[in-house]
Amino acid sequence: MSAFTDRADAALADPILKIAVERTAGTAEAKRTIAIDAFPDFEAARTRAAAIKDHVIAHLGPYLEQFEANAVAAGAKVHWASTADEACKIVIDICQAAGAKSVARSKSMLGEEIGLPHALAEAGIGRVETDLAEHIIQLADERPSHIIWPAMHKTREQVSALFKAKHRSPHVEETIAAMAQSARRELRTQMLSADVGISGANFLIADSGAVCTVTNEGNAELSLVPPRVHIVTAGIEKIVPSMPHAIHMLRMLARSATGAALTQYTTFYTGPKRAGDRDGPEEMHIVLVDNGRTKMRDEGLAEMLRCIRCGACMNHCVVFRQIGGHAYGGTYPGPMGAVLTPVLDGLAPNRDLIHACTLNGKCQEVCPVRIPLPTLLKGWREKSWREGLEPTSMRAGLGLWAWVATRPRLYRLGTTIAVRVLRLLGTKGWIAKLPLAGGWTRHRDMPKPAAQTFMAQYKKARRP
Amino acid sequence: MSARDAILARLKGPSPDQAEADALLVAPERPAVDEAALEAEFLARLALPSVNASHDVIGSMADLPAAVARYLAGQGEARTLCLPPDPRLTACDWGGFTLHDIAAPDEAAALAIARRGIAETGSLIFETSPAAPMLPNFLALHHIVLLAVRDIAPYLEDAPLTGPQPRAHYWVTGVSGTTDIEGTYVRGAHGPRFLHVILLRN
Amino acid sequence: MPRNVALFVTCLVDMMRPRIGFAAIRALEAAGCDVVVPEGQTCCGQPALNSGDRDHAAALAKQTIVALEPYEAVVVPSGSCAGTIRCHYPEIFAHDPEWLPRAQAVARKTWEVMAYLDEICGWRPEGVSMDAMATYHDSCSGLRELGIKAQPRRLLKAIDGLRIAPLQGEETCCGFGGTFCVKYPAISNAIVGEKAYAIDATGADLLLAGDLGCLMNMAGKLHRQGSKIRAFHAIELIAGMGDGPAIGEEA
Repeated sequence: MSAFTDRADAALADPILKIAVERTAGTAEAKRTIAIDAFPDFEAARTRAAAIKDHVIAHLGPYLEQFEANAVAAGAKVHWASTADEACKIVIDICQAAGAKSVARSKSMLGEEIGLPHALAEAGIGRVETDLAEHIIQLADERPSHIIWPAMHKTREQVSALFKAKHRSPHVEETIAAMAQSARRELRTQMLSADVGISGANFLIADSGAVCTVTNEGNAELSLVPPRVHIVTAGIEKIVPSMPHAIHMLRMLARSATGAALTQYTTFYTGPKRAGDRDGPEEMHIVLVDNGRTKMRDEGLAEMLRCIRCGACMNHCVVFRQIGGHAYGGTYPGPMGAVLTPVLDGLAPNRDLIHACTLNGKCQEVCPVRIPLPTLLKGWREKSWREGLEPTSMRAGLGLWAWVATRPRLYRLGTTIAVRVLRLLGTKGWIAKLPLAGGWTRHRDMPKPAAQTFMAQYKKARRP
Repeated sequence: MSARDAILARLKGPSPDQAEADALLVAPERPAVDEAALEAEFLARLALPSVNASHDVIGSMADLPAAVARYLAGQGEARTLCLPPDPRLTACDWGGFTLHDIAAPDEAAALAIARRGIAETGSLIFETSPAAPMLPNFLALHHIVLLAVRDIAPYLEDAPLTGPQPRAHYWVTGVSGTTDIEGTYVRGAHGPRFLHVILLRN
Repeated sequence: MPRNVALFVTCLVDMMRPRIGFAAIRALEAAGCDVVVPEGQTCCGQPALNSGDRDHAAALAKQTIVALEPYEAVVVPSGSCAGTIRCHYPEIFAHDPEWLPRAQAVARKTWEVMAYLDEICGWRPEGVSMDAMATYHDSCSGLRELGIKAQPRRLLKAIDGLRIAPLQGEETCCGFGGTFCVKYPAISNAIVGEKAYAIDATGADLLLAGDLGCLMNMAGKLHRQGSKIRAFHAIELIAGMGDGPAIGEEA
């Protein structure tokens, strides 16, 4: 047993979680299918999207410098952070210099990755999460369980109870629409009075210095326009060369994430407000964050830097659909999380994530940027094996098996004996309890093997 | 070494070849749009459940106040409007309206002019400027948008501005919606619950 | 002209259900092939490969390549083992100039048995009949690594009296995943539980698939739950051996 299997067991024992995950992920899966079927040549579009990202990753340094020069020319201030702690310190310093008492935050997985909510709390700065799901998570004092629907693990009944306990004028009618209105009432004044707005970035446009955010709620704009200061925290891999490149990626992102042709609100921010503008921030800061990304590029995980955080891989993952996002234990769940979490939080404590996958390939099939997720997971498994992190029993067992299997005559003898032993354990064609494979027979029966192996029967049949 | 130097040192490499970047954009996969019927294509997308906008058509700018009044009356709203200081709008006769140019936190209706409409998605394209504040378009319950038919373009690639960029360039493709509770779609999450497009046909 | 074909039996078929190997031989011979079962074969090495044990995977791959090299084609009654040889052997030796061309040569001529019968031989079962309703599960490796989807259905369509009931989620993983099912039994069980429910809901008499590992997983769950649905490798029916014992039935 491990922390992961404990969390997974708890998730499997929670019938409400299963309902909640199924309602959202099931809907997302169905909507994506409709959107992709209606799109002309989605396969070619995936190839193009992967090529755009690979081009950027190959020239990431020069593109970052180009982006920086253009953002600075537009009046933004650009900061660089090698680690999560450095990034948080930069953000906190900006907030404190601005005398900020409260910040409005528009959902950003990078912000979660670097631990920004925690850092703001430590600094005594009030935080308003403006994305509805992040608001639910903040009220419940939990972590996101999905990168697009952070509150996917909650049913409407649970959200209703939470709002009734925490909102000043909660909903009366038990509908999802009424609950959303309750959050609207609660959040609007808080958003408008924040001193600083913090967002992530879906794309950074190199040739203009623009930062793109997408939301369906419009909460990014409501969080980022009124405050005096706008801070962006973005992973360095978010660069695209130009607007037309961003447009291709946006077409892929919305369809893969929610099945829409485009998000409702797509905004490109270039620098702070201009002279004479009626609204917009006086300062714009962009924090470019590495946090393991340059290492990924150098150490065989460059393809993972293509990821545009659409969540399709987890929506379509049989394991995620059973255990939900929290069981993964990291910032990012599902297949992409299983690849990323060992980078961010270390391989040894996250060894389960790279193995808790059937390698069925569905995630790769739906990925809009063709990330070979199963191959990357197998790469982690090799590293884990090389570094001696795999359990001794596993190493010894596989070693013995391989030793025999590379000696065909000995192997025939071994299988002949194994078949006889297995047959002793069965009744009427099935084995209900199997020593050393209790994981199998705890939940299902094992068919009894035939009396003789194929090789034995074949040899006998061909004997003249 | 600064973080900037450390990151860039790890990412040393050749400058990107412009031709290589451009080659990635040749013949992009995108939904087909009938360029001979842009208005119909745009309106069809505007009516999709995901965009969910209503529309009206006027023949000249002089008809705009009446069209706005018609919409507000149909919605049971007072003739109160947040009107940006755009001379094309302020030149209209707004007799009978209560106007203001700063949006209230619970603003009922705001009017704005879109620079472009995009037929591919039913998107409305805006930029910020001294005459075009951004906040009213996100605060108001009813987002009313004036769009000239001649400004409808086929694809998203037609949306960006060339040259120096304003603070914000933004695309509106529907109303503020959320699927954050059980994946169920709800309108009016934080911003507009209604989007109404007034097409100017001349 | 008869084709000189090597059958790679797979370790699971060898030990657990030899009938599948004999069915493959029968169908291939009916399609005009000369079938040989090379002596030097054991396992393709997939368990080692998927566990990260690269060295043992390479050793088994080399042994398999040597055993299969002499033949015109290699046919495998499993999508995942065929996928290992076809897709992953060249990856294993990507940086080995001696073995890479040999791995690529074997990869190029390796086929899943139903794809080979359908695409290469253009063969259909003749005079085979089976009065039953079957449902088909698309095993993941075959589906996504080799594109096995239409081929088994085209072959099964030629069986008189056999009807195919659509399976909800036919392309969804059954939760087997090789060592996954014993490493994470609770998660695997939840996945196969849903799969068994979907199979039961078809009202079919038979469950068919192209991979014995997945079949043992699904059939084992169905049997534990008391379902009467009988499971076969599709090639057994295609070869006219559908009248024999199903998985878990005594001969």
